[in-house]
Amino acid sequence: MKIRDRSTIPFHIIKGVLLTFLSIVCVLPFIVIVSGSLTDNLIILKEGFSLFPREVTLSAYRTIFRSPDGIIQAYKMNFYYTFMGTALGLLIITLTAYVISRKDFKYRNHVAFLIYFTTIFGGGLIPWYMMYANVLNLRGTTLAIWFPALMTPFLVILMRTFITGSVPDAVVESAKIDGAGHWIIFWRIVLPVLGPGLATVGLFQALGYWNDWYRSSMFSTSSETWSLQFYLYDMVNSTMAMRQMAQNVSLNTTDLPTQTVKLAMAVVATGPVLLFYPFVQRYFVSGITIGAVKG
Amino acid sequence: MTASAEQRRLITEKAGPEKRSVFWVLLLCAAAAAALLLPVFPWIRICGADALYETMKLGASVVKKLQDSYSVFSFLSFVQISKQGVLGFWAFLLLLVAAAAAFLLLFSAAVFLRNGRATAGRPMLQTCAFLQKGLFLAFAAAAGTAGLCLYANRHYGITGFVPGFAVYGMLAASACGYLLSKRIEKRERKLCREHGFLEEFRRNWILFLFLVPCFVFFLINNYLPMTGIYFAFTQFNFRDHLFASPFVGFKNFEFLVRSEILHLTQNTILYNVVFIVVGNVLQILFAILISHVTRKRLRKLSQTMIFMPYFVSYVILRVLVFNMFEYEVGLVNNFVVSLGMERIDFYNSPSYWPWLITMFYLWKNIGYGMVVYLATITGISTEYYEAAQIDGANIYQQIRYITVPLLKPTFIILLLYALGGIMKGQFELFYQLVGNNGTLFNATDIFDTYVYRITTTQPLSMGMGTAAGLFQSLFGFIVIFVTNLCIKRRNPEYALF
Amino acid sequence: MKHLKRTLCIALALILCLAVLPSAMAADDLSEEANLVFYVMGDAPQDETVVEDAINAVLKEKFNATVDFQFSTWTDFSQKYNNQLTSGGADLIYIANWLNYGLLARAGAFLELDDLLNEYAPELRALAGEEMLNMCRVEGELYAVPALWPEYVPLGIKYREDLRAKYDLPYPDSLENIEAYFAGVKEKEPEQPILRCTTSESASSLFVAFDAATVLNIKYPWVGNNGLPYGLASNYDTPDQVYDYWFSDDFVDDMKLMKKWADMGFWSKSALSDTNDSEAYDNGLCIAEVAGMNPNKQIASANNFAKEHPDWESAYITYGEVTGVLYPGHATQNGTAIVRGTKYPERCAMILNYMMTNEEMNDLVQYGIKGVHYDVVDGIYKELSENFRYENFNTWNLRVNDYKLPQESDVALQAMFDKYNEIAQKSKFPNVNIYGGFTEDYTDYEFERTAVSNVMRQYLAPLQAGLVDDVDAAVAEFRQKVTDAGLQTVREGFTEQWIAYCEEYGYQ
Repeated sequence: MKIRDRSTIPFHIIKGVLLTFLSIVCVLPFIVIVSGSLTDNLIILKEGFSLFPREVTLSAYRTIFRSPDGIIQAYKMNFYYTFMGTALGLLIITLTAYVISRKDFKYRNHVAFLIYFTTIFGGGLIPWYMMYANVLNLRGTTLAIWFPALMTPFLVILMRTFITGSVPDAVVESAKIDGAGHWIIFWRIVLPVLGPGLATVGLFQALGYWNDWYRSSMFSTSSETWSLQFYLYDMVNSTMAMRQMAQNVSLNTTDLPTQTVKLAMAVVATGPVLLFYPFVQRYFVSGITIGAVKG
Repeated sequence: MTASAEQRRLITEKAGPEKRSVFWVLLLCAAAAAALLLPVFPWIRICGADALYETMKLGASVVKKLQDSYSVFSFLSFVQISKQGVLGFWAFLLLLVAAAAAFLLLFSAAVFLRNGRATAGRPMLQTCAFLQKGLFLAFAAAAGTAGLCLYANRHYGITGFVPGFAVYGMLAASACGYLLSKRIEKRERKLCREHGFLEEFRRNWILFLFLVPCFVFFLINNYLPMTGIYFAFTQFNFRDHLFASPFVGFKNFEFLVRSEILHLTQNTILYNVVFIVVGNVLQILFAILISHVTRKRLRKLSQTMIFMPYFVSYVILRVLVFNMFEYEVGLVNNFVVSLGMERIDFYNSPSYWPWLITMFYLWKNIGYGMVVYLATITGISTEYYEAAQIDGANIYQQIRYITVPLLKPTFIILLLYALGGIMKGQFELFYQLVGNNGTLFNATDIFDTYVYRITTTQPLSMGMGTAAGLFQSLFGFIVIFVTNLCIKRRNPEYALF
Repeated sequence: MKHLKRTLCIALALILCLAVLPSAMAADDLSEEANLVFYVMGDAPQDETVVEDAINAVLKEKFNATVDFQFSTWTDFSQKYNNQLTSGGADLIYIANWLNYGLLARAGAFLELDDLLNEYAPELRALAGEEMLNMCRVEGELYAVPALWPEYVPLGIKYREDLRAKYDLPYPDSLENIEAYFAGVKEKEPEQPILRCTTSESASSLFVAFDAATVLNIKYPWVGNNGLPYGLASNYDTPDQVYDYWFSDDFVDDMKLMKKWADMGFWSKSALSDTNDSEAYDNGLCIAEVAGMNPNKQIASANNFAKEHPDWESAYITYGEVTGVLYPGHATQNGTAIVRGTKYPERCAMILNYMMTNEEMNDLVQYGIKGVHYDVVDGIYKELSENFRYENFNTWNLRVNDYKLPQESDVALQAMFDKYNEIAQKSKFPNVNIYGGFTEDYTDYEFERTAVSNVMRQYLAPLQAGLVDDVDAAVAEFRQKVTDAGLQTVREGFTEQWIAYCEEYGYQ
């Protein structure tokens, strides 16, 4: 490697300090959460959080996995929703973004406007709910859980930026002169260079699906179709509600350690994502180091 | 404007003299349509009033307030006073359509004048485009009015509503004008080598095909439910149900006006501006820093670590934050005491909270937003950097002259995108961190938290909730529309739409 | 523009579709099979379908109908409950005052039941009795059938009796004694937190702003919990004599007391943002709870102590025992309504009738299949399977006194109820929940009401939490702000309706 230019030394020092600081600040709370999830509920309530568990117990995890069938089903559904939503969503987002990025398409600004418009104006929850529950009669189906988030205007616009940024007009023009139609251009020219864009948008889309509980809450009629986050939410919420109401004393509702379960929930839901993360990460954390090229 | 005088002369010459008469008829039709939209003309006349009001079971005091005839703009007042919610939604749509028609007709006149009263060529095409839309909507408004009368008469089982002569006049004028302008447009297009929708569809049908899923999705998920905006003007009850509940005008907006709306608006915008600007700048900064980490492993690790706060839900954050800033046993206060200083009463001192909230917002969002910029940097060809190094550019210069300019389009788009939501807030963030703590509200109350508080003390306040949303939407819409227009003038590349 | 046109057309089509919905109410015909949805709160039991099949086997034969229980789950339940009503997805529905029964009924969410009951559910009508049914009337119309199991839910203080005995402190049965008890424990065990309290939830937010202030109920024989809304109050014996609490000297004294308690460290200085942990008491993180309590919660805590901390003891003193004002929970605490828009109102009434008047069916719905899910030993309910537990459909609205199987813990609860009943009998209006039967119509002054609730959050909460430096100045500021918010209008509107209500029912 080339010996670095002297003037860049302060840059590398500042870089090191800033990144180390931010990384620690970001990861510390997560360590607190993990260690909290391994601590006894009472200790958390009494002494608050700490960086390391004083006494490791798996009781919170045991509570969550009390009925393994339920949580396995929830995991399954979560994978299903995430897969459907990300695969289909990514496809139609990219198609749409391609269209509105084409300068030779007369109505591109009209379409972009119509898409953006939906982020500003909305009719509120009730008409949206009734659209799916009454007009389309999708209540209780899995379709109602993954369909409503297939596209987000933000991701469409973001994808458009990636396309205009990574596909120069000249390339498309020359392909056109060679007689390539939009179909060919999209699949053969645009998609292959769109790696970082697809990874980013796909990641955002997948995370949105993975973390969703709201649509399960709204549209599910049976626990079979619950997403993972809703399954976990419901566990805590029903305990809290029963405590608040005390309608039904005999139920063993008070034995759920809500504090630690909440923390364990975060771990249980985040775990698989962190396992998958490196596979996507390579697309937006480049393999080549900028500024240190040439050996 | 682009066509030179010579071209224009040629085109006008080719157009021939009889086309001028077509133009004059069109002008006449458009003027008539615009005039008929004036609120002085009766669009809906009430006939057989006594029998009608009896069917509606209206009291004498109400009847006294009613008129014999209404324009398309004033008919809602009839609906409101007579409490006939059934007609409300229809009348509301008509009003919107008529208002849009009036706007477009006026606008096309303005375009016409600005284009030097050109009756041919591209300028005329521009005028025609707006004029056509205006005339179409005017026709729709007239036809809709006739439809409304039919519907109402059937609903009450009595002939009480009759379309006024203006409606028939409008139908004739707008239809005539629309056809004429189509004809002119067709000819001008040929002359200017422009093409219309059909031609565009023939050429780019595959692009339209690409758009089908998008179209279906937004229609189902957004545009059809958008009809719910109407509920901002009604007082919902289950007997009449959604679209027939009493129309109450702007009553649902009153609570906004009576609240400290300026203060709320100011808070919301200030927070959002800080979030957007500081957030993006930090995301860019750290994205650049990470992309300069030499060791690949370390680069990936630090990126992952910075991303982790995204997974900490606000519910959990609330517990963590309370544990940190609590007065007696909070971590921060324990630390402060160990330094020999006085405890800080965070939860009763509003002044700390703007800082804390901003800090936690940034903490949670830097990693997430950074991904976009990292991906953009990854997409930059390394050739640029290599060439720069050969030219002897140092690392600062590379960042300054290569990375930053290439990140600019993304930055501007994200900034613009966020502007539309300038009145909407990070509800979860504020609600979870502050809760119901009234002492902090002066510094931490944003629009969304205020509306949430109000609507939860008033069950069935769908109207108020929708009204608040509509206010936020309009505000955001105006901001983004103006900004986008300005940016488009300077550099269309950066425009959002 | 083209898109706009198309959108408009389709929007119109949609509106027509939506408009058809509410009008779909036709005459019932037994030959057509009715698949009814019964919307209830909470989570579904494991064996939902097993029990539903058993129920439907009977209903199918008797009424040519089936019932599908649908569960709200506890996440966002009030939002979903309203959605369910608006979208017309249910036929029978659980109602309760905490789900805004009165308001919803007034807005027409439920069917009028008088005629339906006469014709299709005469046994139920007879069993419930007109007095019970009248309590569910809103503006003279009957919209719900209440649960037929009397229950007391009086507010009170739940406290650690073992600590009181250990340090020989007075029973916390007056403000002075509560203070002495708290202070005594604080002195002996300085590390022990006393109370965990926070800002009030929205449901009670027009009465108090900080929940520790609920303790003041021990001082006043008020007609409802925390008096009347908007800082008004009247006594149980003279409900129609409304007086001003916020502008009285009593109020200033009370706020000074709260400040004194705050300064004595009875609750955290950060209490206004506290997460109000419902586990705190059971885990010994506070020694008493003064707000939102009821006998059921006392029993729950006592059971928990017996299991986890045998040397701890929980006791309960209702404020009503001290003031002499006690009354049972209101009929609208748990009830059943028929949703407006159902296609089968007659069948709904018949089935509700059957579920509440047929012991076998009632047991099946409440406890599952006998021998599989439960058994009765010495007249006490015994759980056999976790897949369907006690009242596992959460149909508290179908409780019927004659059929309800007691659980072990019900013995202690019944003892408390008997004690309350005795006190309640002596009051001027024996066993009447006066305020519970009142529904306020605030449409005429909802903006002022909104503003008042906002001021309460901002200025009353710190006052009641004792977090102000100068009580007199803070009281003055609060009074000024709340007056500016339009308190006068709200109070006038409320008082007029309240007095009319008292007159109508003879509460004078």
